[in-house]
Formats: sequence, C-alpha cells, structure tokens
Amino acid sequence: MTDDPPPNPALLPAGFVDLLPSDAEAEAAGMESLMRVFASHGYSRVKPPLLEFEDTLLSGSGAAVADQAFRLMDPDTRRMMALRPDITPQIARIAATRLADAPRPLRLSYTGLCVQASGGARESDRQISQAGIELIGPDTPEADAEVVALGAEALAALGVPGVSFDLTMPPLAPALIAEVGFTPAERQALMRALDRKDAAAVAKLAGGLAPVLTELLHAAGPAERALSVLGGLVLPAPVRVLSERLAATFAAIKARVPDIRVTIDPVEFRGLHYHTGVCVTVYARGQHEELGRGGRYVSNNDEPACGLTLRPEALLRAAPARAGRVRVFLPVGSDPALGRRLRAEGYATVDGLVPVADSRAEAKRLECDMIVAGDGVVALT
Amino acid sequence: MTAPFQDTTTPEMSQDTKLVLALPKGRILKAAAPLLAGAGILPAPDCLDEGSRRLRFPTDDPALDVVRVRSFDVATFVAFGGAQLGICGADVLMEFDYPEIYAPLDLRIGACRVSVARPKGQGEGDNPARWSRVRVATKYPAITRRHFAARGINADIVHLHGAMELAPVLDLSHLIVDLVDTGSTLRANGLEETETIATVTSRLIVNRTALKTQPERIGALIARFRQALAAPATAETLPA
Repeated sequence: MTDDPPPNPALLPAGFVDLLPSDAEAEAAGMESLMRVFASHGYSRVKPPLLEFEDTLLSGSGAAVADQAFRLMDPDTRRMMALRPDITPQIARIAATRLADAPRPLRLSYTGLCVQASGGARESDRQISQAGIELIGPDTPEADAEVVALGAEALAALGVPGVSFDLTMPPLAPALIAEVGFTPAERQALMRALDRKDAAAVAKLAGGLAPVLTELLHAAGPAERALSVLGGLVLPAPVRVLSERLAATFAAIKARVPDIRVTIDPVEFRGLHYHTGVCVTVYARGQHEELGRGGRYVSNNDEPACGLTLRPEALLRAAPARAGRVRVFLPVGSDPALGRRLRAEGYATVDGLVPVADSRAEAKRLECDMIVAGDGVVALT
Repeated sequence: MTAPFQDTTTPEMSQDTKLVLALPKGRILKAAAPLLAGAGILPAPDCLDEGSRRLRFPTDDPALDVVRVRSFDVATFVAFGGAQLGICGADVLMEFDYPEIYAPLDLRIGACRVSVARPKGQGEGDNPARWSRVRVATKYPAITRRHFAARGINADIVHLHGAMELAPVLDLSHLIVDLVDTGSTLRANGLEETETIATVTSRLIVNRTALKTQPERIGALIARFRQALAAPATAETLPA
C-alpha cells in the first residue's frame, strides 16, 4: 500500500486566498473610500453577523441564495445555521425587525465577508467581500436613480476607468411569456434560451412571441437604442408598465449623472433571484467580470427596496494601483520625535531593533524606500 | 466587396484592445470560410490552411484578430473572455453550458447530431426502462449524464477524446454518445444509432461581459454575420 505525499502547508481550500502585504492594504483602503462615499450620502452603516439560523437567513429574499450557503449545526441549540452567502437579505431582515420603526426612506450601508458554496463558472472565489447600500421604503425611479448614481460616485472615488451600468427589468420577459399559454416545461425551456440569448432556440420555442422576443434580444445595447426598440413594439399592458418604468428610471439616472454610460438589456433576468424590478449590473471596459450588482426587490414585510452590492475584489482588480505608504528606516538610536513627525506626515516608519554596521543595506533588506538622514529623510537608490 | 469598417472604429476604440474571434479547427472552419467572407472578415490567408503553425492571425480589420483553437476550446476561450466572439457547435455549448456565453446567431453550418449508439443487434430483449445505470463512452460527459439522468439512469462515464466507436467493441462500455454526421463511421465499426439527443448546428457566440461593455462594436459584428446569413449564395460566390 502506498501513501499520498503529505499536503503542502500552503494549500488552501479551493476558492480561498491569502491577501499579502500591499494587496491587503489596497483592499482595506479601497473599502474605506467606498464606505466614506456611502456615509457621505446619509447611508448609515450596519453590521449583521456572519452566521445566522438557516431558517431566518434563507427565508424571504434569502431563499434565492439558499443553494449557495455553507451550513453547520449550532452545537448548543442543535439548530442549523448558515454562513451568509449574501448580505442584502440580512439588511432586509434588520429593516423589517429591529429598524421597523425607523423613519423611511431608510438608507443603510454595509461591508463584510460572505462565503459561497461555489462561484460562477468563471468566478472561483468562494470567500467574497461585499460593500453595498440599501434604500428601503420608496418605489420610484428617483430611488432607483439615487442608488445607481451613488454607485457611480463610489466607483469614481476608486478611479475605476470605463465604468458602465447595464439596466435590466427581470420581470419583463416572464410577464411577456405569461401572456401566452405555455406549459411549465415549454416556459422553462424558453426562459433558459432567453437567458443564454440563444436566438435559434428562442425562434423555435417562442411560437407567436418569436418575432417580439427576437427583436428584444437584439435590442440589448446602448440605452437610447434599446428604449426606442422597446417603445416601438406593441406590448400587452402589464408589460408596457414595466417597460415604461425602465425608461423612467433611465431618465432619472441621466438627470442625476448626465455623463454616465448605460446599456439596457430588456430581456435579461439574470442575477440574484430576489429582484422584482429594475436591476443594474456594473461593468468596466476591459474587465472580464461584474464589478457589482443590484436592483429592486421586496424586503421582508413586503416593503419596497432597492440596493447595490459592489464586489471589492473585482473593483480592486479594475482600479488603478494606489501607492502605499512610503517606508522609512529608523536605525537604532534615531530621535523618537523624528519618527512621530514622519508618521504624522504619512510615512510608515520601520524601527531598527539592533545596531547594524550598514544601515542603508539593512534598510534595503527590510524593503524600505527611504532612510533618515539628519532631521530629514533621503531616498535609497 | 469588403464591408467598410467605420462602424467599429468609433472614438472609444482607441482605448481598447483588439477584439478576438475564436474559430474551431477542422470541419466547421471550412464551412465557416464563406460566411466570414460574406461578413467582410478576411483573416490572413494561412488561417484557413490547417498546415499553418500560427495560432493567432490578423484580419484586414486592424481591430479584429482571429485565433484558431480546438472546437471544444472555442467555448472556453469565449467564456473566460480571452476571445470576445467565437464560432462553435451547439454540442460544445450544451456540454459546457457556460452562463457567460450568449449564442445570438444560428449560422446554419456544420449540421449534425449528438446520438446514442450501440453495437448492432445487441439491444434485443434489453429494456432500458429497467436500467439503474449504464456505462457510456463519450467525449460529452455532461450531456450524457443529463440525458440518462432524465430517464432515471446513472451514466458511468468512460471519458474518451476520440475513437469512441471502439469502446463497446472492446468492452469498455455498453453504449457511446457521439457526434454523428453521416453515420458511416458508426456503420464501419458495427454500431447503430438508437437515439438522437440533439440536432446541432454551429452558432456565433459572444462573451456576455464583452457584449455589455462594448455593445456597439460587438453588435456591429453580429449584424454583419446576420447580413451574410441572409445572402448565403452571394457569400459563396465572392472571391476569397
């Protein structure tokens, strides 16, 4: 019998990573800038826990993410608990319970870690950060627009280039399909074809709806063009209401942020499955992943709500690298007052703990950028 | 004859890298050549020459490159955003089922089917409704598992990359699931088709994020393919 070689101690479970110096610092700094933007617009910060009872965390809007949750048993109560795969359902719970009597509109922000059983096909991360906002109470295009505009401001604060927002109306395609008497199996196959924008399958499965759905599939793109296609179609009344709301939300966003880049995809309904109205996905040119996602949903207690969740890991890949603090080496015996002054000026000071013969060489060995000289600093070359 | 490219050289292009179109080696590439010409995409001449060692080719459009990869890999290159567009069989899309891929256009080339086959005459008195499991050799493990699971049967997969027809003969498996065009390879190896899982054609596929972030450029390319499809006869008569 042979044994497998012992596992390498550096190996982590798939989907988990160590963030090392500079990356970890960049993440913390980036997160701080995001939260500062949210706070500056009156979004008060809340901090729900990592673990909750499964039946409360995954009920209501949380049901949509139930299949993504790691579960474990509380050894104390013997009840099943779940690690949060998403923070939004927790905010919905807080708004409906502890903050039920807080004045509306209720504006909350949050950041924290989530763990998901599996990422998407592309996304292999299982531990992800979220930073987001929820606007609870109003159901108006202006509320949708506030959330998108704030997202745009937060991304601008990070300096992410080429940001675009893709607006969708997830209930629109189902409402259109509901007007025709498809069997559940036909409906499922058609929804799947629409999800993959599989034009051949849509044409085959949609029957009389095929021309409208095909036109809508090809309408996805720049907002003005997509809305003009939508406006030109003859749509049943319930679908028309949805399409008009989409147009009104776009107009409200444009009014707030005139230079924002918006695309519209009228038949897309992908995303977090709890969304019930206008949704938004954030992209940046040249990035292969979504930077964030949000939209309108019904909070616990049937209260309308709209939120946006950004993915800090993706944002930091998209944002330009920021310079960290400059490291200055202070050999043993340096004046403590000088160290205090340098730290106040934003330097990071690295103290020598033992006397060394060559301070410059020691400073380089410790990855410092500068070294003290007299009562100032000089760069190491 | 070549469509002008003004529609893709919008001001935003200057900040962008090139678009990449992934093409599959072999059978589909040959069938796609007239379509590419019809859509006004002229890759470097050695792109269509299977003997060429190059993998990436420029086209007459400075903003568009073509890469030539295995047909199964076209879907992967597009799903991960390495290529923004690709041409790939619906069989490959069914197998990988990447949510990142949109398939906006049926190119109506490379028609064939994904079928179940078994040694001729072996099925007498064997009722599949009574099976709990079956051993199947295939290069489509996901399609095969799904197909049999829907019938309440666990498929034990023998994952091969070629010469599937040998598997039942050499007792690796009971059945095979494979891509069938004329069926002559099956017949030559003493197999017969018992069931068609799906008929497939090649699709123009697009990376979801690329479509969302560069809708003008990608939309314009899709439109050119759609026009080429609308006039396939003229596409074929165009000088290459």
